[in-house]
Amino acid sequence: MPLRNTPIQRKLMLIILATSVVVMLLMRGAFFTYEYFTFRQATLRQLSTLGEIIAANSTAALAFANQDDAKEILSALKAERHIVAAALYDRKGGLFAQYPDRLASGTIPAVPGAEGYRFSNASLAGFQPVVQKGSQLGTLYLRLETGIIMREWIWGSVQIALAVMAVILCVAYLLSRSLQKQISAPILRLAETARAISERHDYSVRAVRPGDDELGRLTDAFNQMLGEIQTLNQELEQRVVERTAQLAAANKELEAFSYSVSHDLRAPLRHIDGFAGLLVKSDGAVVSERGRGFLTHIADSAKQMGVLIDDLLAFSKMGRSEMKIGPVDLHQLVAEAIQSMQMETQQRAIQWRTGDLPPVQGDRAMLRQVFVNLIANAVKYTRPRDPAVIEIGCQNGSTDEVAVFVRDNGVGFDMNYAGNLFGVFQRLHRAEEFEGTGIGLANVRRIVSRHGGRTWAESQPGAGATFYFSLPKSRKPKHENAQTHPLG
Amino acid sequence: MAILATRLRFLDGGRTWLAVILAWGVFAPVAPAQTAATGEYELKAVFLFNFARFVEWPAAAFPGPEAPLVIGVLGDDPFGPLLDEIVRGEKIGSHPLLVRRYRRIEEIGDCHILFIGAAAAGWLGRLPESTAGRSILTVSDADSRAVRGVMIRFLTAKNKIKLRINLEAAKAASLTFSSKLLRPAEIVPDGES
Repeated sequence: MPLRNTPIQRKLMLIILATSVVVMLLMRGAFFTYEYFTFRQATLRQLSTLGEIIAANSTAALAFANQDDAKEILSALKAERHIVAAALYDRKGGLFAQYPDRLASGTIPAVPGAEGYRFSNASLAGFQPVVQKGSQLGTLYLRLETGIIMREWIWGSVQIALAVMAVILCVAYLLSRSLQKQISAPILRLAETARAISERHDYSVRAVRPGDDELGRLTDAFNQMLGEIQTLNQELEQRVVERTAQLAAANKELEAFSYSVSHDLRAPLRHIDGFAGLLVKSDGAVVSERGRGFLTHIADSAKQMGVLIDDLLAFSKMGRSEMKIGPVDLHQLVAEAIQSMQMETQQRAIQWRTGDLPPVQGDRAMLRQVFVNLIANAVKYTRPRDPAVIEIGCQNGSTDEVAVFVRDNGVGFDMNYAGNLFGVFQRLHRAEEFEGTGIGLANVRRIVSRHGGRTWAESQPGAGATFYFSLPKSRKPKHENAQTHPLG
Repeated sequence: MAILATRLRFLDGGRTWLAVILAWGVFAPVAPAQTAATGEYELKAVFLFNFARFVEWPAAAFPGPEAPLVIGVLGDDPFGPLLDEIVRGEKIGSHPLLVRRYRRIEEIGDCHILFIGAAAAGWLGRLPESTAGRSILTVSDADSRAVRGVMIRFLTAKNKIKLRINLEAAKAASLTFSSKLLRPAEIVPDGES
């Protein structure tokens, strides 16, 4: 796991532990260096002390040319196992005695060198004069193997360093575990609060202030922002409620207006139709043959306008009537809709295909109207096709809504105008080709949106069209109060 | 700490070693001296000179701080010029070295080391009385039966020169022998030397 994705607690602990290890290593290194030089000095001092003792004891042996005695003195060096070679030279510089008895040639210099001990690779060796009463009787040579001592010392140091490091790591771990909470706990609390807020959208929650440090200020800023969000949210909701009420009021007025207009238009229209009819039926003296033709046109137009007004009234009623929600069997609705169109379809060759349709919750009468409108559309626009194919089914895929479609192989439409399809009085075909008022699809949209669903369509000119409507699976009531209440 | 342990071990070794050395100083066996290729008398001459380094004379033995330390040879001199060559220019402390030869025992005056060669063994009988009360280190290589009261004897055995020391005689003459001198020597009671 990369460090930036590690939890903050572990990050803090890692930082503390890494710092202590580095500091410890640096200290250990410095101490080691110091010890190394101290150790060398001590070794040098000890060897020259030992040399002094040997030299002092060798004076008589050298003075009285007693090699055996000299050898015995040197052989006592075996008590110090790191001394690998020793030798005594007489006054004239000749080798007088050596230790140990057998030595590889070249181990001991043939003639004494300059006084003093020097470190060379892995050993400390040197010469020391043997003096009695101020005059030199000979020279002592000593060679100390420092390699082994050094190795033992280094190994000892490493062991101690490891032990100390283990102890320090344990202590640092325990300390960091409790100390890191000073920093991580407030951050974690803040993070937890933020998470709870984003999950529950409850902006009234406030984070607890840990103290007066940066985290305290961060918490303050966080709480302040929460306060602002809460205020803004409340204001927004308030505004939405106000606007919705305004819109509903305007809508109500508009609907009342259009209802009364439609209603009031019907009476004069009936008169126009009625009197035009009477005029047509009257004898020839009153109206000429040509005039009779005009009058027939007037009567037809008045009738058409009557149909329009009826549809408008139905549309407006659809928006105002109360919904009766219950389980609806869509299969039955489809069957009823097809049945209602028998007059239209009995002269036609139409292949009906109905797929699986799930049961839904909704207003049965309204949904029936949806199917009637969509199927009527399909029947209408497939008139040039023989046979016409009309398919009703359900599209799978979405989990939270049921999408039902009505597909035909009719004349279709240009997708550029798809946005206008569901508007009132919006028609994509001329009335001479396909009759209609342009209210059917508007009605469909209105019903479906009152159910909380959507409507859309797909088509290619000449290749048929598919109309979709969806219904939510768990139906949430929308802002309907403006529409469900009857007009005042 | 590791370094401390090593140091202690090191010192320990030194101490053991020192103990061994000291033990030898007290119980040293007769160590055979060696005659090198050099002549026997050259070696003996060097030894005579070296005795001056391992023996302390009482202050009264010297008339002044710069008075010479005299090595005397009684009777016929077996060393020839060897002894003079060895001591030439040498000093023990502030005392220069001087060689004197005595033909008769009565001639011995200020003398610190007296060598009585085998040829002068005849004088040995009179030696104790003539050196009594004087701090003279007497050295001889004469035959043992004739020697009495001589402090150091050279014994030649197996081509090596050994030292035999009569400490009581030395003590009687107020001479202090360095313990180091005793290391390579054999110590005998008075009358046996």
